[in-house]
Amino acid sequence: MSMIIRNIQIISPGSPLHGATEIGIYQQTFVDPTELTNAAEIDGKFGWLVPGLIDLRINLREPGLEHKGTIASETRAAVAGGVTSVVATPITDPVVDSPADVRLVLERAKESGYCRVFPTAMLSQSGAGNHLSEMAALIDAGCVALAQGNRPFSSRKIELNALKYAQSLGIRVILDSESRDFAEGCAHAGQIGTGLGLSLNSPLSETLGLVADLELVDATGVSAHFSRITTGASVARIREAKAKGLQITCDVTLAHLLYSERALADLDPNFHLERPLRTEDDRLALIAGVSDGTIDLIVSDHSPHETGAKLAPFPETERGMSLVEGAIQLLLQLDQKGELGFEQSISAMTVKAAQVANQPQLGSVQHGHLADCVLFDPNGSTVFDAIHWSSAGTNSPLFGQTLPGRVIGCWIDGQCVTT
Amino acid sequence: MHGPAALQLTPDGRLKHLLTTEGLPKSLITELLDTAETFLSSQGQPVKKVPLLRGRTVVNLFFENSTRTRTTFDIAAHRLSADVVTLDIRTSSASKGETLFDTLKNLEAMQADLFVVRHSAGGAPFFIADRVTPDIAVINAGDGTHAHPTQALLDLMTIRKYKGDPANLSVAIVGDLKHSRVARSLVHGLRSMGCPDIRAIAPGTLLPIDLEHLGVHTFHQIDDGLSDVDVVVLLRLQKERMSNALLPSEREFFNLYGMTESRLRRAKDDAIVMHPGPINRGVEIANEVADGPQAVILDQVTNGIAIRMAVMAMTLSTQQGRHS
Repeated sequence: MSMIIRNIQIISPGSPLHGATEIGIYQQTFVDPTELTNAAEIDGKFGWLVPGLIDLRINLREPGLEHKGTIASETRAAVAGGVTSVVATPITDPVVDSPADVRLVLERAKESGYCRVFPTAMLSQSGAGNHLSEMAALIDAGCVALAQGNRPFSSRKIELNALKYAQSLGIRVILDSESRDFAEGCAHAGQIGTGLGLSLNSPLSETLGLVADLELVDATGVSAHFSRITTGASVARIREAKAKGLQITCDVTLAHLLYSERALADLDPNFHLERPLRTEDDRLALIAGVSDGTIDLIVSDHSPHETGAKLAPFPETERGMSLVEGAIQLLLQLDQKGELGFEQSISAMTVKAAQVANQPQLGSVQHGHLADCVLFDPNGSTVFDAIHWSSAGTNSPLFGQTLPGRVIGCWIDGQCVTT
Repeated sequence: MHGPAALQLTPDGRLKHLLTTEGLPKSLITELLDTAETFLSSQGQPVKKVPLLRGRTVVNLFFENSTRTRTTFDIAAHRLSADVVTLDIRTSSASKGETLFDTLKNLEAMQADLFVVRHSAGGAPFFIADRVTPDIAVINAGDGTHAHPTQALLDLMTIRKYKGDPANLSVAIVGDLKHSRVARSLVHGLRSMGCPDIRAIAPGTLLPIDLEHLGVHTFHQIDDGLSDVDVVVLLRLQKERMSNALLPSEREFFNLYGMTESRLRRAKDDAIVMHPGPINRGVEIANEVADGPQAVILDQVTNGIAIRMAVMAMTLSTQQGRHS
């Protein structure tokens, strides 16, 4: 099938078509509209056409945690937020650590998913941090990278071995840098958390973890992606390491770009996250980091929960926020607040994410690339209420809100997937 | 949404719940202290009971150990003629897997009027106050390291009785401020009352990081910190501070920060010594000070009953006002 979308503004940083006003789609790929005959025409009504967003960190909860979310519910939520590809964390129950698990995720995604699903698996067996997983087999089964998630290695020695082994096979690793000694605590060790008498997480936990991990990456030469950095100190360390020539990338979560520790003042458990919200200075440093390219990617770190998981006093609730559903709208909001330009944030969720996920055919609207795109009306608005909510988790500050921008349609492989 | 400080007041500024002393206006604190003093005078009478809360049900919800706080709340409710039910939750439903939310809904269905809540998680009384039906009042009897507002109020009452208006006083708090809900609530209360000089005396490992922000002056040397103060508040030192490597030993703490007669001479001659209890003799306080003329520790206990009566009476009268 073929079609032409006219009256649009293409926003695809780095693409020769950036700024163009029409695009053709033939079968699965973007093509020059002049090459098409008898194509269906879509009037874009002067909306923005953006490459489908790629979210490098999402918890799909399947297998084993279906009471929190399923591949069907969470990929549907992703599409609502303009996300057409997700990289799933291996943090399920059990964790993804065998080729059979990877195939299960891929099969479930094929049966019930609304968008592309790229699995990752654990670097260590059972995620316990003691024995290396069968890395080659996991990559063969379809993983785009290996990670350790929120599970620490049992020692730096085991971590060193895992990184060395991954390097020798050319596998990219995703690291959550944190020093276990300091990692407890449900709030940033700052004024707000202290004042509320919450258990505290020192920013030193991240700095010490990151410094050690950077040394191990430097020593092994492994291709590493640092996920969920939260502090200005981490931005500075990554910047230094990149200047030194280390081949690394990193990401920040949407929540850490949007909120600071101040969000905890009302003890809303939705702001109880695995990585605590830091100071306003940290938030601004993270935004500056995305602006100057130190931070490569923005991720949703989408973590849906059942209602009961958040129905308790703040410290006793489970961690995480359901956020992917408003991804593209939140990027527009950051732009409208004058904090982070839309092109920069889109770049961090499309073309750069495609590089880290090793998907050169995705993340850019250009001729010959796979036709994954979002038609987005920046003048519209989106209501996030019970009627329109897709994620199984309503643990979200978005729930009950209206945000600027509206997804008119999402296409994957040239097929409209918007429900 | 709204934090604990906002949730405890009605839109017209009356006390609906007591969750924290943070942001509690001076006028309300003064009203509570005045009310408590009238109850205190009735305590000297042969008949200690007043019929203010006859027919009302007070439920003590203690999710954490407590002897004296629970006892004083018990006594306070009985003296107001309320029906009192005390639930030691650690040994009841929570151990059967019932969530706090479900426990709450069950108690609500039993038509209680007031919950007195102690919980190890900071913010737990706020969680309850935010979700109970509007005609139930909630009093925080201590939550994690967050707040212990009735203790702060009884401390303010004791200070006012012996030393007058806190707006003219220097107050030093000595010991483990970092883990102390008592200290945090007292600092907020003193600030509301306009106290111009609040000092914290402790080693760096026992000081929280937000004190400067609250206008508290910190001292590591006790002799500097005690200089010319009117009020000395000592805090209880928990054994686990040693096992967590925050301090080397009780002996070293006493040598550096223990309140002895000679140290107390750094304070004003008529300074009072307070302690929320239970005291560790030879750790925070020397025998001669604990039993000396400047200690007002047992008076604090008596005031605690009057303050808890005042808080119960005031929150329940606010709730009653909503229905009339």
